[in-house]
Parts: sequence; structure tokens; C-alpha cells
Amino acid sequence: MANIAAKRVKREIKEVMKSEEIMGGAFKLELINNSWTELQGEITGPPDTPYESGKFLLEIKVPETYPFNPPKIRFITKIWHPNVSSVTGAICLDILKDQWAAALTLRTVLLSIQALLSEAEPDDPQDAVVARQYKEYPSIFAMTATHWTNVYAEGKKAIVDYNRRVQVLLEMGVEEHQARVALSTHNWNLEVATEELFS
Amino acid sequence: MGFDIKRFQGDVDEELICPICSGVLEDPMQAPACEHAFCRACITEWISRQPTCPVDRQAVTVGQLRAVPRILRNLLSRLCTSCDNVPHGCTAILKLDSLANHLAECEYNPKRPMPCEAGCGLVIPKDELAEHNCVRELRALIATQQGKLTDYQQELAEQRLVINEHKRELALLKEFMRAMRVSNPAMRALADQMEREEVVRWAGSLARARVTRWGGMISTPDDVLQMMIKRSLSESGCPLHIIDDLMENCHERRWPPGLSSLETRQNNRRLYEKYVCKRVPGKQAVLVLQCDNTHVDEHMMVEPGLVMIFAHGIE
Repeated sequence: MANIAAKRVKREIKEVMKSEEIMGGAFKLELINNSWTELQGEITGPPDTPYESGKFLLEIKVPETYPFNPPKIRFITKIWHPNVSSVTGAICLDILKDQWAAALTLRTVLLSIQALLSEAEPDDPQDAVVARQYKEYPSIFAMTATHWTNVYAEGKKAIVDYNRRVQVLLEMGVEEHQARVALSTHNWNLEVATEELFS
Repeated sequence: MGFDIKRFQGDVDEELICPICSGVLEDPMQAPACEHAFCRACITEWISRQPTCPVDRQAVTVGQLRAVPRILRNLLSRLCTSCDNVPHGCTAILKLDSLANHLAECEYNPKRPMPCEAGCGLVIPKDELAEHNCVRELRALIATQQGKLTDYQQELAEQRLVINEHKRELALLKEFMRAMRVSNPAMRALADQMEREEVVRWAGSLARARVTRWGGMISTPDDVLQMMIKRSLSESGCPLHIIDDLMENCHERRWPPGLSSLETRQNNRRLYEKYVCKRVPGKQAVLVLQCDNTHVDEHMMVEPGLVMIFAHGIE
């Protein structure tokens, strides 16, 4: 790995460790395999959002050409958000693409991702299904996101009704995540979801 | 790319850190409007990918980068750092502005050029000294020199060939010109005219000279001296058709009646001052060309002019 990238990452980890965000438990950052190229981040869902109290794991890959090119970041934890693919975890965030600037750091990037959880950008979606629901049925979107946070990210707030509907499909022999995706996609309409799954 | 912050004594202010490499600024440059500072290497690399300031994304090109203010340079130069050669045992602590000088002379520098003391005299990096073998190195040197020599010889042979061809062509041309001159009076007049003009042009290009001591004249110069003067004339652009005649006229046996013997020379001394003399570049010698001296008495002049060589006294 290029010297400059390793030096930057070392310093940035130190910076994150000293930051208020670590103290306040807003996020975590750790190395994987002691190489500077792969890190794992964790951000906490911001309060007063469907993601509140959820713990979201992020995969962070630092390229050799860092900081001249942005780090590659995706969600490992499944999340229901217009700007994050519910399938791959890929994030649509301008600073991770063409708006990257060399002075940005892992800390500022993690803060931006956290801010994205508070303030989605449905007009620049990564997941079209989620974005449509966000615009057309905001309350269903909020409950779905809360449900996903509860199931996948240790979020404290459970949506009992949604759990029940998933359970119905489970009893029909459908795999759990598959059932949840079908229901979330069809605004929790059990009939339409069932039809899609068995067609 | 900046200096590793760990090399510095005490804390380094955040303002002195490059936002790109996170090291201490090295050869810093700043963006024109926002004044954000970066290492020259870092910002050049970044701009080659994206022409914006890496901190606030304002448009910037390499040409717009400016030197940072003196106060920033001063603050940087005052930082105390360890030497690059710490791993090789150097314990020096230096101000950042004297680091470059120190590195050039640091005796712990593994690449410091050292002369071999075993006798070959080659200068080699210090860390290669242990592996150094005079005979092997010198053999390698001889081999490369030999290679070069062969190349030069080949080049020389080729050049000779070219020169010979040119000579043949020139001879042919001269022959042709002569035939034309002989057969055509108009051509002869034209050629004579051209030759005269060439002499005048050359005479105009030479600097005036003054003889302070006419007594220093060498009236019977030997062949070596004559060769030297002839070469200088040739280098100064002397027209080829008169150079041999001129050189003939550097000896008293060919001088005009007014100069032909010591006695006549002494009698005519006062006439010398009338001569318009031109310097033979770089030599204690003057040219008295006929084209410059049409006012001089006939018995003091010959065609196409005189060369007078002196022991001293030419200005």
C-alpha cells in the first residue's frame, strides 16, 4: 500500500479515536486483519429517525491511491433507505463519488453517512423501490425502516403488526428475509406479496 | 509529500499539516482564493485528477497556485525535526530549514558519495563501498569507454566518407567555375568583383588595431609562427583566395620596396602612421589590407595586403 495512504489512515484512525463521536457512541472504527486497506465502521442510527438506536456496520475499503480517490464504503447491515441498496448495501452519496475531496477524512465521511440517515435524498436514489415508497407512502416507509432497524440492527422499537405478517409467510415456508423484502416492496400488502412469491 | 509528523519535537500546529497527506507541509503552495495550503507534490497530484481545492472544492488549476505567506514559511522553518537517516544512526535534531543542507552532508547517509581509498579513485555511494571491487568496476568502466570509442570511430569513418564526397563535389564545382571564367569575360568580371567584395566584407568585420611599438616587428617569422597566424586568419573568415598570398606577405622578402630592408624601414618610419591596421584576432599581428589602404604610397603596399607580426605592442 502506498506510503501516503497508510500514513493518512493511521492518522485518521487516531483522529476518530479521539473524537467526540467515539465518546458519545455515535460511531466506531476498527481495522480488519491489521492491514490499513480494510476497516470496519459502525454508526448508530440518529435519534428521532426510523434508524434510532440501530447499530449499522459498514465495510470500508481504502484504495492504494487514497486520499486522491475516495474510500469504498457499503452497509454490511441490511437497511431500508432510499439512498442505500437494500440488496447490496451500496451507498449513493456524492462525496463518495464525484464530490470526493482529498481533505475529507474517514471521520467526516462517517458523519456524512450518519447525516444521510437523518436526511434522505429520494430524488437521487440508490434503491428505486424504497425511494418510491418514501415519496408515496411516507408513513409506511418510516415503519418499514423502523422494522428493518429492529430486525437487522438491534433497533429497540418493534413493529408488531409487520412481524406478524412476516410470520404468516414464514409459516407458508418462505425464507424470512425473502418474505420481508416481498412485504416491504409491496407496502406490506400480504396478498400481493404472497402472489409475487408464489407466482 | 509532507514530513512524517512523528519526526518533530513537540506538538505541530494543525495549520502546518497538509490536509492531503496529513504530514507536515513540504514545499507548501496555497490555493489563490481560499488560501488553503498543501504540499506542492500533494496538491499537484490532486489537481491532476480534479481541478478543485481539496478542502472547499473551489476551482483551482496548477498555474493558479501561489507561494504561502512568509509567516507560514517561517513557522515551518522553525520546527525541529530528526534527520532522515535516524535508521542509520544519525541523532541530529535540526530546524526544518537546515534539513536539506544537513542531508547533503549527513555522514550517516547510506548513499553519501565516497571516494574509494583502495586505489581506483572512483566515487561511489557509501553503502556500496563494502561490495566494491576496484578491478571489476574499472573493467566495467573500460568496457563502456571501449564501446563509446568504437561508436566514435565508426562515426569518424562515416564523417570522413561524407567529407571526401563533399571535397570531390567541391573540386568539380571549382573546375566548372574556372571553365566558366575562362570562357566568359562577363563571368570573369563578376567573379573578380565578388572576390573583391568578399575581402572588403571580411576587412569590415575585423577590429582596428594600433601598433604602439613598430620596433617590435618580426620581419622573418618562422614556419611555426606563420602557421599560427594562418590558422587565426582562417578562423576569422579570411577569404580563401587571398589567404595564401597574405601569408606569403608576412616575410620581408615579399614586402614592398619601402619596407624591404632594415634601412628603408627606418627611413620610412613616419609613413607607418598612415597605415590602417586590422587586428589578427588573438595574435600580436596586424593586417594591412590594400582595400583599407588605398591612400598609402605604392612603394609601401602590395596586393592583396601585408601581414605584420610583432613580438609585442599591439592594441
